[in-house]
Amino acid sequence: MSDRMGAEIDGVQTKIWRWASSNAIWVVLALLFAIAALLSDAFLRPVYIFNVVRQAAPVGIAAIGVTLVMILGGVDLSVGAVISLTAVLTAVLMDGQIANIPLAVTVALAAGACIGGINGTLIAYNRISPFILTLGMAVVVTGMTQIYSGGTARGIVSPGFREFFNYRIGGIVPVLALTFLGLALLGVRLQQTTKFCRNLYLIGSNPQAAELSGLPVKRITIFAYALSGLMGAIAGIALLARSGVSSTFAGRGLEFDVLAAVILGGTTFQGGRGGIGGTIAAVFVLLIAFNLVNIVGLDYNAQLIVKGAIIIIASSAYIYFKKVR
Amino acid sequence: MRSSFTSVLSSKYGIIVLLGLTVLFAFIFVPEFGTVNNLTNIAIQSAPLAILAIGQTVVIIAGLIDLSVGMLLGLIVVIIADLMQGESSMTVVAILAALGLGGGVGMINGLLNNLLRIHPLILTFGMLSILQGLIFVYTDRSVGQVSSEFSWMANGTVIGVPFAIILLMFVALLTSFLLYKTRLGAHIFAVGGGEEQARRAGIMTGRVKIWAFIISGVSAGVAGMLVAGRLGTGYPNAGVGYELDAIVAVVLGGTSLAGGRGSILGTIAAVFVLGVASNILNLMEISSFVQIFVKGLIVVIAILLNQPKRIIAS
Repeated sequence: MSDRMGAEIDGVQTKIWRWASSNAIWVVLALLFAIAALLSDAFLRPVYIFNVVRQAAPVGIAAIGVTLVMILGGVDLSVGAVISLTAVLTAVLMDGQIANIPLAVTVALAAGACIGGINGTLIAYNRISPFILTLGMAVVVTGMTQIYSGGTARGIVSPGFREFFNYRIGGIVPVLALTFLGLALLGVRLQQTTKFCRNLYLIGSNPQAAELSGLPVKRITIFAYALSGLMGAIAGIALLARSGVSSTFAGRGLEFDVLAAVILGGTTFQGGRGGIGGTIAAVFVLLIAFNLVNIVGLDYNAQLIVKGAIIIIASSAYIYFKKVR
Repeated sequence: MRSSFTSVLSSKYGIIVLLGLTVLFAFIFVPEFGTVNNLTNIAIQSAPLAILAIGQTVVIIAGLIDLSVGMLLGLIVVIIADLMQGESSMTVVAILAALGLGGGVGMINGLLNNLLRIHPLILTFGMLSILQGLIFVYTDRSVGQVSSEFSWMANGTVIGVPFAIILLMFVALLTSFLLYKTRLGAHIFAVGGGEEQARRAGIMTGRVKIWAFIISGVSAGVAGMLVAGRLGTGYPNAGVGYELDAIVAVVLGGTSLAGGRGSILGTIAAVFVLGVASNILNLMEISSFVQIFVKGLIVVIAILLNQPKRIIAS
């Protein structure tokens, strides 16, 4: 009898561990949130929580696109530069006029998708490392942004643009936060239901087999990178909506914040694994950690140190949960 | 069906041929290029990145990557300038501090890499952030002043040859010796080529990786000394962006990001291709914004020409 009891308890424990290891990032998120809530009541207030979601929007939206590319076995380091370019492009084209908003947004989205499409085409038809190609593309795009803007913050955000995105529905949920959550849910849904996303996993886990079994590998690759560029453009617009500043370096270095989130979320460089859900959780893990540092009252410089430590510790914790069974 | 020209360009020596072509173009079309003064300038400006990129080459051959070197360089610049305060008597201390700090942070990277088993890109990105924070906790404006010996190291010449170039050649020869003539070097190639096989062959892969990170850190120390000497003071943003330039140079030079193969000579040639190109654009008075754009184009085109022809056996 007792043996059976033991086995049952063992079974339950194994189940818990299995659940924890396959949802490791959510466990880390829950732990971190609990710590945050203990340290500050603010984390229990909906207004504050949705403010965190609003803050997360630019990096989070870009991370959705990069996750898709990394499932495929690629990577996109040009997103930071795309964010800068599209933020500047949107601000300049708006030129302070409400009537210009549709044009500005359309052009920015098209520019992002185009850059992504070029990345995808070059990668699909050549045997080059996506890491270094997109790094080079980042330099090209940064140069274009500089030439276009003349090196200074230019353009005027239309009245109503920021107000719309930062308007709190019911006094609680900012439109920008809602946009981000909507895109995230859409991404997760598409990832579970579409053939395109299933093909991403197939190509990522075995490119040769995918090619041999007749999947349109090139077309899927180009489309995935174009999507990543498009998400980068949306992230750029989100950044402009959040900050209102169209600095030419607005997105500088964000590609590594994005990458940290995607990898922390369980999507690997090798491809074939991971997903958008994990990425979103990881974005919140990183952001709650930074807010925590803020609440504790450290200055920005000390925050950088903590940010680095958190990235390292959270990644390690994640791997620990994954390994322990 | 490739023409012989593009096949030379995409061969192992492609980047050296490209360097030759760039220099030839510059000599013919840009009259000011060939002056001793200008050539010295290019050499002095390219040397720190070349030294940093040599260290990065070793890490990448070992199948790793080190994003922390830019900020490490910045931290070293700030600390040694503050240490010296212009005093010649502190020169030796500053040199030891630069090498020790570089090697020490490299070792921490290596130990953490082995202990935590997270991707080196993420680990060293975290370290980048930590080091950046340390720099700005230390100071948010330029501090200290380098000694006259340091200024000479960065700007002086020995019978017409810039000392920075002599230092670069010394670092290049030493690293090449280490990579191609020692057991550690062979092990670095083996670990990068396939860690599991290397481990089964009895190589202490963990120790090899620690050494690779230490070499990269020390290279940041040496490069930091030159940057400090050139700036004359401890400027906190001195190292921003160096890590990406170094990685770009390493890959342009023919080293595979997958690890297991690479070339020091190629890396140095790639640094000088970028240095000469930006010098030409400067002499032609093209705006720095266009220069960034052109630099990116060079990178993309060179990568496309220089791509590996065989799929690396996985």
